[in-house]
Amino acid sequence: MADPVFVVLAVVTVGSAIAALELRSLVYGSIALMGTLGGIAGFFLLLDATFVALFQLAVYVGSIAVLILFTVMLVKRELIFKKIEDKRRKFAGVALMLVTMVALGAIFIDSGIKDITTDEPPVDFREIGSDFVTYYWPALILMGLILAGSVTGALVLARREDIEENGQRTS
Amino acid sequence: MSVIAPDFRLSGFIRSILDNAFWALLLANLVGIPAIMMVLFYIEMPVINGELLTPFLAFTWLADPSRILPIVHAFMATDLFRVMAFPGFGFAALIAAGTIFVERKLLAKLQLRVGPFYCGKIEGILQLMGDGLKLISKEIIIPAKADKPIFWVAPVIFVATAAAFVALIPVAPGWVVADVDLGLIAVFAVIGFFPIITILSAWSANSKFPFIGGIRALFQMVSFEIPLILSLLGVVILTGTLNLSEIAASQSVFPWIIFLPVGAVVFFTTMLAELERIPFDLPEAESEIVAGWLTEFSGMMYGLVQLGTYLKLYAFAALFVVLFLGGWHGPMVVPPFPEEILTEGIVMGPVTAKIPGLPLFTQEMLNGTLWFVLKTVGVIFFILLPRGVFPRIRIDMLLNLGWSKLIGLAFVNIFIALGLLYAGVLGPGGMLPQ
Repeated sequence: MADPVFVVLAVVTVGSAIAALELRSLVYGSIALMGTLGGIAGFFLLLDATFVALFQLAVYVGSIAVLILFTVMLVKRELIFKKIEDKRRKFAGVALMLVTMVALGAIFIDSGIKDITTDEPPVDFREIGSDFVTYYWPALILMGLILAGSVTGALVLARREDIEENGQRTS
Repeated sequence: MSVIAPDFRLSGFIRSILDNAFWALLLANLVGIPAIMMVLFYIEMPVINGELLTPFLAFTWLADPSRILPIVHAFMATDLFRVMAFPGFGFAALIAAGTIFVERKLLAKLQLRVGPFYCGKIEGILQLMGDGLKLISKEIIIPAKADKPIFWVAPVIFVATAAAFVALIPVAPGWVVADVDLGLIAVFAVIGFFPIITILSAWSANSKFPFIGGIRALFQMVSFEIPLILSLLGVVILTGTLNLSEIAASQSVFPWIIFLPVGAVVFFTTMLAELERIPFDLPEAESEIVAGWLTEFSGMMYGLVQLGTYLKLYAFAALFVVLFLGGWHGPMVVPPFPEEILTEGIVMGPVTAKIPGLPLFTQEMLNGTLWFVLKTVGVIFFILLPRGVFPRIRIDMLLNLGWSKLIGLAFVNIFIALGLLYAGVLGPGGMLPQ
């Protein structure tokens, strides 16, 4: 017997994911995407990973979804999307999705993940933190450098010289 | 001189009141009391003085003042009381309502006006009630081409999110609605919802002024969230916990603002921006874009948004108090509950009333609440004050301030905290006591 909370979360997550793809209105689609990301945060809560769940809410729902909404609202969709109404494409997409899901499910079931039973408490986020700064520190620093590099690159790309030449502020 | 109601008859007025009272009593007897009995039957009732509180006992005890107090005690221990009344919504809404009135009066005094004056005999003290009645009775107008579902839902979600923020704030030792182990992260997660609601409601109105205001709000809130989060990390580094109750409890000797003044200043500035207060009130700039993202709201929808805004203001001020000003800590000024009332009862001439269950609140809780409210009101005063003094700044100046100056200062604050920690002054095993 599955946990009813799990079933509700699964329905919300998958349902809003399908809605995010299928809805005609882009704004409603991005709201549905927020539902998906929030549902995944709910799964993390069920797994006793409160830290990850709250960060999922703060980062994905709070920032990424806002970014998507913002982009959708600024861009006229007629300019970037061409409507292609094609039955065959649609059915091919659905069939491809089903094949992928069945294949992935078969791999998961075959991997023996169902047989794992453990009574260990969930990993404390403090342990993850201390692991990051002791054992995994090169990876952490590499990640920090890559992020800093990409932010600098974005700043360089976003600079507009035509405005600066006129003596206006660009910030 | 015009007459408001020319056909007014006092006898008719009294008759209508009596008529209403008759119907109210009749309906209460025929429908109300049976309904209450049925509902009470399904609610799990507490055990008081060794006997289970049945609905019939509850009704008989309501008439006996000496037996109400245990019922009140049992009710105060429930989650419902915490959510609805004391550290939760009711308490915060009371402070929010007081803030609205004080803000209007304070601004008027700063600008040598009188402010609310006529409603109520003393200094317009009933103005708030009048405004509330006006908002409730006004028609709600939805723009014809608005996106109706989002437009209806946005004010409600705004208030709900603000209430969720309020629920995380510890007011007195043990008095908090949701004592989350990762309280500060939960605060960041809740704050992240405000820009979404703002931009969605602004977009759904399908009008250019709300949309411009919403875009400005989005820019402002998203870019000021980063210095907001960074400025609070210093406190987390020094206390070693994310639980807001533990952070407040760790400041029994000194508040963190003594060692982290830079973080406090950065947090206060970002707080003003997140709350859309002057000088950062670009999303609602009334001289440029009508009322910003609130333009199309009317009636009680506007009232809900306003309530949510002031709940958010209270919650931010309370967060500042919890993180930097020592929370509920302060000298014990509340006198202890008189012992003789507990042992001998209240003596009034020949009558002695012995009331069981009397110290309704402990001395620590009353004292903590008193200091917490005093500090919060002080912080709210400093949030209101710039509105009477500063002009609005430009959006590019705002973003420049947030991205280049405040983030840098927040890092300076983190380095101060790390220095204090590694020098062995503060933190676990430090020189100074916690």
